[in-house]
Amino acid sequence: MSEEPVDVVVIGAGAAGAAFAWSLAETRMRIVCLEQGDWLDPSTYPTTGLDWEARRFGDFGLSPNGRGRPEDYPVNDTGSPIQISNFNAVGGSTILYAAHFPRFHPSDFRVHSLDGVADDWPLDYAELAPWYDVNAEMMGVAGLAGDPAGPPKEPTLPPVPLGRMGDVLARGFDSLGWHWWPSDSAIATVEYDGRAPCINLGPCISACAQGAKASTDVTYWPKAVRAGVELRTRCRVREITVGDDGLADGVIYYDADGVERHQRAEIVVLACNGVGTPRLLLNSCSARFPDGLANHSGLVGKNLMFHPYGMVTGIFDEPLESYKGPNGCCFISQEFYETDRERGFVRGYSFEIVRGMGPGSTALLGLANGSVPWGAGHHAGFAELWDRTAGMVAICEDLPEEVNTVTLDPELSDSDGIPAPKITYRLSENSQRMLEHSVARGQEVLEAAGAKQTLVTAPLGIAGWHLMGTARMGTDPSRSVTDPWGRCHDVRNLFVIDGSVFVTAAAVNPTNTIQALALRTADYIKRNLATLLD
Amino acid sequence: MSDDSSRPFASDQAQELAAVLDTLIPPSEDGRMPGAGALGLVRRLEEICEAGADLRPILEGGLTALSALARERGAGSFAGLCEDERPALLEAVGEHAPAFVPTLLFHTYAGYYQHPKVLEGLGLPARAPFPQGYPLEAGDLGPLERVQARGRLWRETGESDA
Repeated sequence: MSEEPVDVVVIGAGAAGAAFAWSLAETRMRIVCLEQGDWLDPSTYPTTGLDWEARRFGDFGLSPNGRGRPEDYPVNDTGSPIQISNFNAVGGSTILYAAHFPRFHPSDFRVHSLDGVADDWPLDYAELAPWYDVNAEMMGVAGLAGDPAGPPKEPTLPPVPLGRMGDVLARGFDSLGWHWWPSDSAIATVEYDGRAPCINLGPCISACAQGAKASTDVTYWPKAVRAGVELRTRCRVREITVGDDGLADGVIYYDADGVERHQRAEIVVLACNGVGTPRLLLNSCSARFPDGLANHSGLVGKNLMFHPYGMVTGIFDEPLESYKGPNGCCFISQEFYETDRERGFVRGYSFEIVRGMGPGSTALLGLANGSVPWGAGHHAGFAELWDRTAGMVAICEDLPEEVNTVTLDPELSDSDGIPAPKITYRLSENSQRMLEHSVARGQEVLEAAGAKQTLVTAPLGIAGWHLMGTARMGTDPSRSVTDPWGRCHDVRNLFVIDGSVFVTAAAVNPTNTIQALALRTADYIKRNLATLLD
Repeated sequence: MSDDSSRPFASDQAQELAAVLDTLIPPSEDGRMPGAGALGLVRRLEEICEAGADLRPILEGGLTALSALARERGAGSFAGLCEDERPALLEAVGEHAPAFVPTLLFHTYAGYYQHPKVLEGLGLPARAPFPQGYPLEAGDLGPLERVQARGRLWRETGESDA
């Protein structure tokens, strides 16, 4: 069934698709966004019930393979020590993200020039900075000006509270003379743009019932829809179609009733994340593109980057009240962010303080490490652990390697029969060394803060939530999939605006940069509309 | 009176399961914390079984093995053993049903610590986090003066960085 043609079709309503659609809406072009998930009802979110911790292992789990939601597609990630985490809904993975919202550093765009590894980006920090600023206004970023670890910026909102736990951990960083600074957090710490202020529910990564967290269903999308963007939910795209002229001419998708439809469009925009986007390109084969659409370089699906995470948890003697407050947003340390070759690796990592656990997660942690046994010693073991845990994750910069890939699984498919992605990934020696360094430093600082014991998990297996590099941008068509604006070298009306275009990964959460890049691409299209397809 | 015939576990199985739960998490000696078997967690396990998870065969297999072990010890059932004898049987059942105790532990711990009586026992409000939320101290930002005093930490690239 064929639809009336539109000017632009955007695939995916997450972080990037929302920002892009909102920005482009001012052109008054007809823009349709196809999203395989649906609008969610915050009154059903986990923190509205007593079972909020258990639902992290159920319908609000991180892995699409265990959630049991019909809108999800399966991912074969058995070939990776890090498993894929995503979410399919209006808002995409921002529904579950921690809202930790740092910017890249200038050096992140010049990795090859400075450190002789990977490639430089075809843009620099200064070029992206104005789009970070726009995004900060739209998402609402809490923080504190004056951080010496990055270029100056002005947060739009007061920082999230440190809480008692933050004070205790900061003590450790201070005693070692290490950098720390209140997190840049996409959380409304005061009422902002119609959003209620944060009330410290705790598990931002199980969605925010309060609406304080800046998921794009409550930030960009209401504005984009009011501006005329049509958002069609429960629509799963199977492939991008190409005309005789070699241009993309639309997409084939299954609607909410499972009916196959063909949406024609002048411009096609991919915003499906670093796994979904290469999956769709590889599923879009034709005589002109037998190895997948826009894949003459052979790089679609290659150079997959995660952020390998090292998690270090400290057990303290004092109550920390660490189950209160945004669990991924407290403070950051970038003491080890920039390259120091004496450490035995290039590039670096951030420490992101992670607040403690609720009672259920505490008990399960104790079950896993043997400190909360079943039977007669149960209550004594739990009392030793409850409200005494706090720690951090080290977010390590991954470097691009062509052996780390997203391909199509030969057997696995989704409920519409569309081949599912298969992940093949291994940690590089550089990443492994960095991880080891980070957890050793993490243990050191937690002990300095007073931890009597530390627990280490590295790499953190569930932490495949930053998906980058699988349709990288660049100026050389033989070494990149898109140009510096996210436009595919091979198909000039096809754009990629998600983390797939990242050249390198930096060592911070990528959402802010993904959105800044999407806004920049939208601006490029707006400024060049008259000649875009010449 | 409710009709239990459609529930995953017959009443004798449910009784056995409750005794197992009380062995995994017994009441605390000071009486502040209840045992897991007394909290209705069997019904929660049944709901998980009904939702289509793979839990039911694991639990059924474990209960069958436990009953057999109890009979070998001269008791009619696991629940018929005295409380001191039960832990040894749960240790032993792993040979016959290796997934039983580990799987049950996960669901028991998760279910126990979301129960209002348990939250009250921990001194927590017996409610969901939303909509009241929690107050949180701002914390001490004074030490950041020292951090700032170190000066710029980010690396120059020789371009128009800032």
